[in-house]
Amino acid sequence: MGMMEEESSNSNIEGGASLPSSGSDAKKRRVTYFYEPTIGDYYYGQGHPMKPHRIRMAHNLIVHYSLHRRMEINRPFPASTADIRRFHSDDYVHFLSSVSPETLSDITFSRQLKRFNVGEDCPVFDGLFDFCQASAGGSIGAAVKLNRGDADIAINWAGGLHHAKKSEASGFCYVNDIVLGILELLKVHRRVLYVDIDVHHGDGVEEAFYTTDRVMTVSFHKFGDFFPGTGHIKDIGVGSGKNYAVNVPLNDGMDDENFRGLFRPIIHKVMEVYQPEAVVLQCGADSLSGDRLGCFNLSVKGHADCLRFLRSFNVPLMVLGGGGYTIRNVARCWCYETAVAVGVEPDNKLPYNEYYEYFGPDYTLYVDPSNMENLNTPKDMEKIRITLLEQISRLPHAPSVPFQTTPPTLEIPEEAEEDMDRRPKLRKWDGEDYDSDPDEGGKANSKFSNVNAHMREIVDDMEEEKPGVHPPSCC
Amino acid sequence: MEQCSTFSNGPSLDLLGVQTVGEFSGNGCCLGEDHVDNGAHHGKLTQKGLFYELLPLYLKDNCSQVGARPLLVLVDGQQLDLYKLFSLVKDRGGYAKVSKNGLWGSLTKELGLNLEVYSPVKLVYAKYLNDFERWLKKTFEEKILKNGNHGCDWGLKWLPMDIEKEFRGLLCLNSKKKADDELFKSKSNKKKKNTDLANHKNGNNLLDTKDQNNKSEDVQHIEGDNNEKSCNGIKDNPATLGAECADKEYNPRKRKRDAFSGMINWMKDIAKHPLVPLTQPIPKPSKWKEYKGRDFFGQFLKARLILSPRTHEEPNSGLSSLQKQKMHPVIYEDHVALGRQATGKSRCNERLPSSVKAWSCSCCNPCSHKGNTLAGSHDKVAEKCPHEKTSETLDVLTEKAMAESSGDEFLGKQVSVGPRFQAEIPEWTGVVSESDSKWLGTQVWSLKQGTEPATETDIGRGRQEKCSCEHQGSVTCVRLHIAENRVKLKLELGSTFYHWGFDRMGEEVSLQWTTTEEKRFKDIMRSNAPSKIKYFWNNGFKYFANKTRRHLVSYYFNVFLIQLRTYQNRATPKNIDSDDEVEFGYLSKGFGMETIEGPDDDFLECSKNEQYINFD
Repeated sequence: MGMMEEESSNSNIEGGASLPSSGSDAKKRRVTYFYEPTIGDYYYGQGHPMKPHRIRMAHNLIVHYSLHRRMEINRPFPASTADIRRFHSDDYVHFLSSVSPETLSDITFSRQLKRFNVGEDCPVFDGLFDFCQASAGGSIGAAVKLNRGDADIAINWAGGLHHAKKSEASGFCYVNDIVLGILELLKVHRRVLYVDIDVHHGDGVEEAFYTTDRVMTVSFHKFGDFFPGTGHIKDIGVGSGKNYAVNVPLNDGMDDENFRGLFRPIIHKVMEVYQPEAVVLQCGADSLSGDRLGCFNLSVKGHADCLRFLRSFNVPLMVLGGGGYTIRNVARCWCYETAVAVGVEPDNKLPYNEYYEYFGPDYTLYVDPSNMENLNTPKDMEKIRITLLEQISRLPHAPSVPFQTTPPTLEIPEEAEEDMDRRPKLRKWDGEDYDSDPDEGGKANSKFSNVNAHMREIVDDMEEEKPGVHPPSCC
Repeated sequence: MEQCSTFSNGPSLDLLGVQTVGEFSGNGCCLGEDHVDNGAHHGKLTQKGLFYELLPLYLKDNCSQVGARPLLVLVDGQQLDLYKLFSLVKDRGGYAKVSKNGLWGSLTKELGLNLEVYSPVKLVYAKYLNDFERWLKKTFEEKILKNGNHGCDWGLKWLPMDIEKEFRGLLCLNSKKKADDELFKSKSNKKKKNTDLANHKNGNNLLDTKDQNNKSEDVQHIEGDNNEKSCNGIKDNPATLGAECADKEYNPRKRKRDAFSGMINWMKDIAKHPLVPLTQPIPKPSKWKEYKGRDFFGQFLKARLILSPRTHEEPNSGLSSLQKQKMHPVIYEDHVALGRQATGKSRCNERLPSSVKAWSCSCCNPCSHKGNTLAGSHDKVAEKCPHEKTSETLDVLTEKAMAESSGDEFLGKQVSVGPRFQAEIPEWTGVVSESDSKWLGTQVWSLKQGTEPATETDIGRGRQEKCSCEHQGSVTCVRLHIAENRVKLKLELGSTFYHWGFDRMGEEVSLQWTTTEEKRFKDIMRSNAPSKIKYFWNNGFKYFANKTRRHLVSYYFNVFLIQLRTYQNRATPKNIDSDDEVEFGYLSKGFGMETIEGPDDDFLECSKNEQYINFD
């Protein structure tokens, strides 16, 4: 595919993908949010950068912005050892559920500590297993909510612990709530897309689904001399999972514009080709500017743009937390993303709240990017985009289900107000309609043009079955 | 602790870098083909160089309980010139006198820093230089006594030539003082093996702490042999400084010297092979001024720039950045030898230095919102340095890397495949299995509760710009409005207010603590002794009979940090770059909380409690 074509298709994404998500259709997303009230009391230890307190801070902001009025809020049911064993190995789960700071010195544990990589980055702290149960219970609960069709978006900020492996803790993560949540989603949904915007590679999730085409993983992360070291652009999956793992390796100083320039076309293409029936978005906030451990330079709005974009597809969406080590910014980010999910544009001036002083001296919601140097050159970006779009093009359309065999009638949403929404199976963008769209969407005219596009796309989709071959005006 | 020894490599390597520069500028020797014009500054450089030679050695030998001792200290986003700081303090009669006379402020200004960062500066001095000052004084006085000299002040500036020589004698491995190009080259050739081993050792430290002990023992053994051969010269050196001193200093120094040549070889190679991709970016010319005082690094960079055929015009063309990453030694080694084992360790290396950083330079997190990229890249260099040394020799590495990049194979950490790694995924049958409804959890808030149109307008609303408080934005004002909002929230949420734990959020938590308990907690936090604080977190019940660890954590996040931030937001708004990561460096005694709790103390406590009582 030529460079010019890529350029032009990208500009279409820029203008056109901003479907109205904060405007008139916003209220159509039924949002469920899982919150465990004791989550903030867990403490990894003095000086440890991972602080569950940030989840309580985020919740506090969410409620003070009155966003709870637009959501159903549930306290998660703690996942049992049996539930956790759906992914993790028996001995590892047994170890997690039995170890405690008091029993740490037992000789029987010392070997296991090494074997399961528990001790340094992943310390044994008071209530460790309860914490894991709450985190996993929230993500499984979110999946069940989506499975039952009770919600369009389900949020669990205590989830997103993407480094945990089947038999090993890693990178502050012990139980991989994401994998457990996706396994639950797979009961009902044929294909699940996992998108990861944490600054670290989503290695645990990628590994868990490396050999299957029922889950596609896409991770955007810092690569090169950085934890966990995996996530090379050429890691694409094996066996039937080949090409179903997408890795977007990035460099220090990634900014909003560059990120968007990769995220939108890649995700757009994935949505078009893979046609997931549910999407899981890991919103690790360590990709924000000024993170204690991260090295990207995203603003809160740039970060949330990923959610905004995925939300616009109106596919059942699970939204999870993840990393994030400058806790005031984590709270800001997840509060704002909750607002995006429920379709509210919150004021920048924070309401007075119990943790108000954490946000000084500016007391605002948005985190502005810094002037740090962006080491991602336009050429790198373009090369990555072309490489990955090619990889995605190699996928058969909608694996294990022939393209366009699903009867369209099934796709028409039940609620009348949902008529305007485009379900991904019916939809493919036509660049022309979007050129005139305002950037952030939500205007009436864009909605009408979407309707037109919607009608035309059905026809387009029927005709076009050749993957990877597209007119220049379209991805 | 294992991890300590692991991450201390970062800073200490940087430390070596500084040493290197110091030593050679002190000797006035030239490196590479470039002529270094430092004649005019020679005297100054000598002192400075000597300082930078002595200090790290001293620190390393005498303060082994602290894992990392970066010589690159950043305060307020700027690099603190330790030598300048040291001489300024010395001019004023030493640490004790400066503190007694309250001269830290003026001193900080003289360093070219903001007045408000005087406390970190003081802390840096206390942490790194105070003992050194005393040691130097003592050593010097002993010497004076022996020689019968009088009237000499201690310190480097007043070092008579002969004593300077002796100090230097402690540091030089060869009795030959002039090191011209050829000599240097031949020396470095001789030492090549030695250097490699030193590098290797570093690599082991970094990548596999488990093997570290065994291997480094071996390496040290070999190193020792080589040192004895190459460093016979020192025997002729008049060791006038007392046997006990020489004994203490001699051995560790030998090892370091080898590491210096390793570093210099590395730098030379980098300069000489501008086309070879680097494993880490070299700073842009605009940033070279950052390396002030590290003249030779600048020289290397310049040499490299001149030799490179304008690659700077098109940085990272194509996939070069990826290729660079491909051949990164860490990744390379991971693949070859360590595989998955290194996972946790590498994260450790990646992450823990940042917490160390936090207390060495609390006000300049590399990615602070102030965006001090210089500081950022600087720190990165310091952190990454150890990685550079993880491989055998650069040449071998480069060859391998080249071979690697030419083939289509890429070597990185591979994803493990097998039943021990992947999740079990059932085939799609089309039959939907039921999910247990227990997963829906307990519904605490339903949509119906929030649909009254009257409340719709409040959604997403922030605070009012103006209020009727006398002092807008003051502590009282903010507390009043927080209390108001709490009352509103309690009315709206009802029992949910308690279910979500709003009664256990914010400073209200302090109501369950007595004044004595609060004071005790703050005293421990302010003690500025990490080991003590760590002990406290693990054994809090010994300090507070009726408090569980959960109480302590809650107080820490809900009261202690908020009060700390309340102070910071008003007193040092420009220097806030983290929440609690400021750690306790910023809270050294005589600063911080004392100020906030001085005249304001009663007022803070009272107003807070009253408001909560009034509105509850």
